[in-house]
Amino acid sequence: MIETFLTYLNQDSTITAIVNICSMTLFFIGLFGLLTHRHILRIFISISIMEIAIFLFFIGNTFNKAFTAPLLGDGHTEFIAMNDPIPHAMILTAIVIGMAVFALGVSFAIEYYKLTGKTDINDMNEMGEL
Amino acid sequence: MSSIYFIALPLLFGFATPLLAKLGKNGIAYVSTLMQAGLFLLALSLLLSTTWHVEVISIAPPLGISFVLNKASLFFVLLFTFMMMMFSFYYLGLRKTDPYKSEGKFFILINMLLAASIGLVLSSDIFNAYVFFEIAGVSAYILSAYRKTPKALEAGLKYLITGMIASIFLLLAITLIYIYLGSLNLAVLSQTFHTLPYNIKVLISLFLLIGFGFKVEIFPLNFWVTDVYEGSDSLVNALFSGIVVKSYLFVFFHILYLFMPHSEFSTFLIILGVVSMVVAEIVALKQTNLKRVFAYSSLGQVGFIFAVMASENVYALTAALFIVLAHSLAKMMIFFIITSIQRSYNSVNIEILKELNSPFLRVMLLLSMLSLLGIPLLAGFVGKFLALKSFAVSGEFIILAVIVIASLIESIYYFKITANLFSKDTKREKVLLTLSQKVVFSTLALLLIAVGILPWLFSGVINDAAHIMMDNAAYVQALMEVTQ
Repeated sequence: MIETFLTYLNQDSTITAIVNICSMTLFFIGLFGLLTHRHILRIFISISIMEIAIFLFFIGNTFNKAFTAPLLGDGHTEFIAMNDPIPHAMILTAIVIGMAVFALGVSFAIEYYKLTGKTDINDMNEMGEL
Repeated sequence: MSSIYFIALPLLFGFATPLLAKLGKNGIAYVSTLMQAGLFLLALSLLLSTTWHVEVISIAPPLGISFVLNKASLFFVLLFTFMMMMFSFYYLGLRKTDPYKSEGKFFILINMLLAASIGLVLSSDIFNAYVFFEIAGVSAYILSAYRKTPKALEAGLKYLITGMIASIFLLLAITLIYIYLGSLNLAVLSQTFHTLPYNIKVLISLFLLIGFGFKVEIFPLNFWVTDVYEGSDSLVNALFSGIVVKSYLFVFFHILYLFMPHSEFSTFLIILGVVSMVVAEIVALKQTNLKRVFAYSSLGQVGFIFAVMASENVYALTAALFIVLAHSLAKMMIFFIITSIQRSYNSVNIEILKELNSPFLRVMLLLSMLSLLGIPLLAGFVGKFLALKSFAVSGEFIILAVIVIASLIESIYYFKITANLFSKDTKREKVLLTLSQKVVFSTLALLLIAVGILPWLFSGVINDAAHIMMDNAAYVQALMEVTQ
């Protein structure tokens, strides 16, 4: 019984389905946080969660567990039965960019807090109406 | 190899700025200006050469980065380098009286912005475009918050949050494209995108529309724009309105023409553009802050360009490129004028124009507003006339009528500004204008008049650009030859 369940879990399609469901849940957790929270840092964290959900979704959908890492050596002489390296390279780039923008946003928020003492985005209304 | 210079030189210069600081106090400013002028001359020389059609640079094909420089992207490269050159010349005049704190950082940022805008236009790989999208974004956020006043920081935060959300949707679209098609090359996408199931196509297109919609300031997604314009320095607004929006517009429509299901989207996009135009012009009527007025006017013009480009025929596209040119020139001039006024009188309220003591600036402001309105013999007229003609030819009279009404509303607030401009109130002390600022204003004004009186001088370039931007087959072929 447990063994059939484990083999079922070990199938590629099951893993992909789990990854898809989890990453979309994570995405909507982030979206929910973005829409409900008003604290500026919580908003940044929510956006980061959404980003991470997309990274997970992308890697989960392009990764094949039967294949090896795309590296030559250890008996591998040709690029056969290896995972596609492009998604990993892309996601690494995207993680770096996301982290940099996140850090920039937090530094803006800190400077803004030092000047005005505000952290709630509903209070951020220095500018005119409309 | 020339297309790589347009990206590499500004980036290289930006990162070499700490070394150049040894040249002395003025070294960075002058070297940066010279570099931008050199890039403009390089672009101009490419324009004049007759044998040259398209240049593709590919690093490590079939993977890697490729840039395509054809007549369409060259038009935008010319525009951006020229605008940035004007910006630098203007700043050289301004910095004598009111320099930015830590100028070195400022020059890193504007050169990064230039490199990223040009990179967006040139890159032929959608993930590469995403990277440039983020570089342009980051430098724009920092420029927006550069003054570190509460208003500037608030503008920077708003810009950054919307930018982050936009990049999430863009990344989601790129992810789906790669999962379903296994490629990010625009040429490959152009050939294989139509094989996707219908709902996936629509989903990807919607994500792309939301991602770029924030950046091209289209109606439901443009709530942040005016706050950013008001909070940022008016000098920086000239860059936002003259360069950044234009590069996003080009990339969005380039992608749209190449592979998105545009015939199904076209009507929807035209309506979006027209609605954002009408809404922006109506809201602008109530504003009393000059920066906000012209931010809304910018939104209106961008909505107009969006609607014209979305109607996707060559004549409309020619019109749209004329409007892009005229709008960049006029908006850059207006924001420079606001900067000059603000530096002298320390106010950007509409009432300050009553006391403006500078006949030169008054004439320049009037000229650029008339051009934005589309008065004959000025640059704005050519684009607006061609656009309305192309709508009339394709029989979309309702849209034509709405655009004319929106222009009428636009004229109301321009008249309000003009009335303030020529009132007989007591004037303040004279506005300080250095020689280089006067040269910049005169050059922009001359160009506005030149495009209006002699449109055929520019129509060759713009016609070529429009034809090539619509010609997907040639783009795909040029890219495929190199990458395979």
